[in-house]
Amino acid sequence: MTASAFESLEHVIADEHFPQADLALRRGRHIGRDDGTVYDYLVDALDHLEPLYRRFGAELVQRSDGYFYLLPSGDRLGRRHLSAGEMLVGQTLALMYLDPATLQHGGVVARAALLQRLDGLLGRETLARTLNPRKRKLGERVAAETVRTKVAEALRRLAVLGFIDEVGDGELRLRPALMRFADPVRDLSDRTAALERLVRSGEVVLGEAEDEDATGAAGDDDDDDADGDGPGAAGDDAGGEGAGG
Amino acid sequence: MSTDPSRLIAALARDQVSLDLKTVDLCFLAGLYLRADRAALASFEEDALVDMFEQVCDVVDPGADRPRTRATHAIQRLRDQRMLARVDGAGIVRSGEYALTRLAAAVIGYLIDDEKLTRESLTLLTGTLRVQLAEVLAAAKRADSEQSWRTSVVAPLRVTVGDLVGGIERRQRGLDSQQEQVQAEIAALLQADWFGAVERCQALLDTTTDTLRELNEVLLRDTHHLLALLQEIQALATDAAQPEPEQAVQRVIEHVDRIGAWGGARQRAWSEYYQYVHRYLRDVVRLDPDRALSQRLRDQTAGWASTPFHLLVSAAPSIRLLRPLESRVERPPVTRARTDRERAPDLVEPEDTGLTIRTLVAESLAAGASSLVEVTVQVLSRFPEHLHYAITGRVADELARVTRARSAFERPWRPVDPGLEVEDWELAARGATR
Repeated sequence: MTASAFESLEHVIADEHFPQADLALRRGRHIGRDDGTVYDYLVDALDHLEPLYRRFGAELVQRSDGYFYLLPSGDRLGRRHLSAGEMLVGQTLALMYLDPATLQHGGVVARAALLQRLDGLLGRETLARTLNPRKRKLGERVAAETVRTKVAEALRRLAVLGFIDEVGDGELRLRPALMRFADPVRDLSDRTAALERLVRSGEVVLGEAEDEDATGAAGDDDDDDADGDGPGAAGDDAGGEGAGG
Repeated sequence: MSTDPSRLIAALARDQVSLDLKTVDLCFLAGLYLRADRAALASFEEDALVDMFEQVCDVVDPGADRPRTRATHAIQRLRDQRMLARVDGAGIVRSGEYALTRLAAAVIGYLIDDEKLTRESLTLLTGTLRVQLAEVLAAAKRADSEQSWRTSVVAPLRVTVGDLVGGIERRQRGLDSQQEQVQAEIAALLQADWFGAVERCQALLDTTTDTLRELNEVLLRDTHHLLALLQEIQALATDAAQPEPEQAVQRVIEHVDRIGAWGGARQRAWSEYYQYVHRYLRDVVRLDPDRALSQRLRDQTAGWASTPFHLLVSAAPSIRLLRPLESRVERPPVTRARTDRERAPDLVEPEDTGLTIRTLVAESLAAGASSLVEVTVQVLSRFPEHLHYAITGRVADELARVTRARSAFERPWRPVDPGLEVEDWELAARGATR
């Protein structure tokens, strides 16, 4: 407590940044250094906010990469898992974040480069099948259109979650929170063991996505009905029960 | 030349302006440029050109045949593109003398000159600029005619001051170019040597950061002084009602503003880049010295579809603002305000047209009328015109009741009124009433 710039939780809540930070965290946003004073506020208020969110059954996580996020573990705060599209796009963006070539442009990449990288990593067919598993056979033109649409949708949601910033002209600024997608391979241990550890800590769920559209829509501000239960998290979602906090 | 961009571009397109310079051409020009610089030559004799071309050919294309012929073609090619100009004016009388044009000097200067902004060059340039502007200010204070304003204020502002400001801007562009190179170099160093390149990248970042900070300090300090001097000159020009010097000062003010803004903008942009690279070096490179993470992440992404996993994020919905609870809503029936549609009757004079008609018909018959027309005409004369049509029918009705009418098979139509005719009846003699 001594490290905090705030004397008490009352002061933390009375601060002008609290509503913005609280709402953003509850909606799944990753708040990083790029967010300016809100990030500084969280750094200062961390000692008081951690116990507060623990009472809601959620953990306020601070990563050494320089970002915060809220990780609900109980059933008091709503949660959702990222869709297949978001996962693929997120991992590819994380890969681009690690690429020294991205440094030249200060961490800004073009959408077209992302699509090329996705195509190169997975191939168009696999990509289309993974992003749209319901349709078995797709024509080349339709498959490409599907990929573009799903990728655009995934990017929009990743931007809402604070993994990237859309900076216009089809360009994306990559944020350090993308390193969450590399969590299973960040240490040299066995990937399966790392995944199991992440599942235990409530960071990830394993298995196929049930319904991408339904799960993904929970990220929208207006859509309160769509829950995000992943296949490994059945029954965890409280559907926003404790949101009023 | 026109200053209108559209017309200027149209003129360039009309003239089919183009440049087609090969490596050997550029090397040849660079050789000439350097020789002219070192030996303080203003022009070259034709033999000197050919010698230089042969030397360049030895480096660029050592096995080439007939270098003298190629030199002749190269000189002609460069003359066609206005890179070389013949300056002797002797025509075919003797071999010519050639000089590099401004275009050639600019192209080669861009390629070989290390004309970037340093603290020393910027301090020197801004210092000289301040001295020049102080002199212009003194001249402006003395100026008492349009001619003196033009020669002692406008001309120095356009030429000396303009050149100095242009020199600073040119060096700024040089530094921009250098920054781009530094960014590319950092990326290339990491690509090639990853962890081993960290120290060199850090050094490159720090050097450029220091340079930019120093430049920005000089710019912040000096642009303030320069603008103050310029505004003083402008105020004098305004007071003296001299629009031309006023505009010339305004142009220089805009340039100086741009120079000042450049420093701030570049430092901000570099600061963002610096922080990003610094984080990258610290969080990515230093934590993954073997650069294994990228490969593992690539494998994970490529195989994700076979062993999928999903990140979990908080997704608390927006707070809902509920309306006050009402168990049953009583809706009032749809009604309309009642209105009293019964109007009070108007008071009018009493009348009994029927009685009057009956009386008049009787009078007419008594007077000896023998046809419907006669009776009708007599009765109608007692009523206003708008009632004539109705009265005519009622007259016929009354006559039919009180007397016996005879009519021919073809009853004649006769007028009873200017706009009214009736089929006439002959009436029975008096006493033959019903």
